[in-house]
Amino acid sequence: MSAGVVMESKKPQQGIVLTPEQKKRQRERSIAIALALGVLVLLFFAVTLVKGPAVLHRPI
Amino acid sequence: MSIVDHHAIDLSPRISEAGVADYVALLKPRVMSLVVFTALVGLVIAPGHFHPVLAITSILCIAVGGGAAGALNMWYEHDIDALMSRTVNRPIPRGRVAPGEALAFGLTLSFFSVMTLGILVNWLAGALLAFTIFFYAVVYTMWLKRWTAQNIVIGGAAGALPPVVAWAAATGSLSPEPILLFLIIFLWTPPHFWALALFRTDDYARANIPMLPNVAGPDATRLQILLYTIVLVAVAIAPWPLGYFSAVYGVTSVILGAGMMWYAIRVYRDRTGSAALRATRGLFKFSILYLFALFAVLLCEVMVSAVARMIWS
Repeated sequence: MSAGVVMESKKPQQGIVLTPEQKKRQRERSIAIALALGVLVLLFFAVTLVKGPAVLHRPI
Repeated sequence: MSIVDHHAIDLSPRISEAGVADYVALLKPRVMSLVVFTALVGLVIAPGHFHPVLAITSILCIAVGGGAAGALNMWYEHDIDALMSRTVNRPIPRGRVAPGEALAFGLTLSFFSVMTLGILVNWLAGALLAFTIFFYAVVYTMWLKRWTAQNIVIGGAAGALPPVVAWAAATGSLSPEPILLFLIIFLWTPPHFWALALFRTDDYARANIPMLPNVAGPDATRLQILLYTIVLVAVAIAPWPLGYFSAVYGVTSVILGAGMMWYAIRVYRDRTGSAALRATRGLFKFSILYLFALFAVLLCEVMVSAVARMIWS
């Protein structure tokens, strides 16, 4: 390993560094959004099955 | 020399520490539970067959739409929420969620709930849900609440609309039954909230909100509570003689109406000391039971008759 690489790894991390608590909350929020989107997809899929071809008929 | 002191401005980005529970709190879960319950009754008493998947979709959209309106309300009112003991622990005054985050959350949920209800169920229900959110977030929260003592009288329409939205979802049209449900909740709102306002007068005064007890005084509010309760009880009984709801509902409405009247008379009569506080708290609690029981009777009737049909067929 060269001296340059060693120097590079010892440099302080740039940008925003999240605390463990912030990382945990961010992960929780991401999972919640994923679940909500999953429910939305399932909902559209289920209603499509229920309505059949009538799903395309949408009078306003 | 720079005029602006750059050290005084915090330019570091705000990293959110809001958890899922904070976002759930933005949806006002307790209000949402009442919205879901009244919408469920509107859905269940609607005539004809409504597929369970579409029924679940409708209730989910109405619940999320109601929650979105709550989030928009908390976004707009975060300044006064911080001043009142009843609301100081909400996510924005506590610093858990930034106002902009609550606004984005509320707008996103509003869009998805309205569009999903419109696309998957029908556009009358979608439009009514959009109107409900608009009425609560804009007409009530942004306009009426800080402007007039009649804020919750007119604003109560937003809370009364969920059974109408649900009926429209199930039938694609409107008829007298959901309008009657609307009227019951609409007329129930003033005595319920004015009872709360009577024992939270200091809170509302601190936040400079023109609730009726702060503007017209407690005695005038007590009279208004009594008058609104008389009209509420009459309107809640009316669907029985008019033939829209059954005798079981009618008798329940008469008995519970007598209870509401008794509490409203106590509020009107007991004006000082601990008796006054007991009376207003009593009316506030009983009014919740009153509305819940009236709607529960309608729900139970439909469920019992459905079970009876299954047994006989």
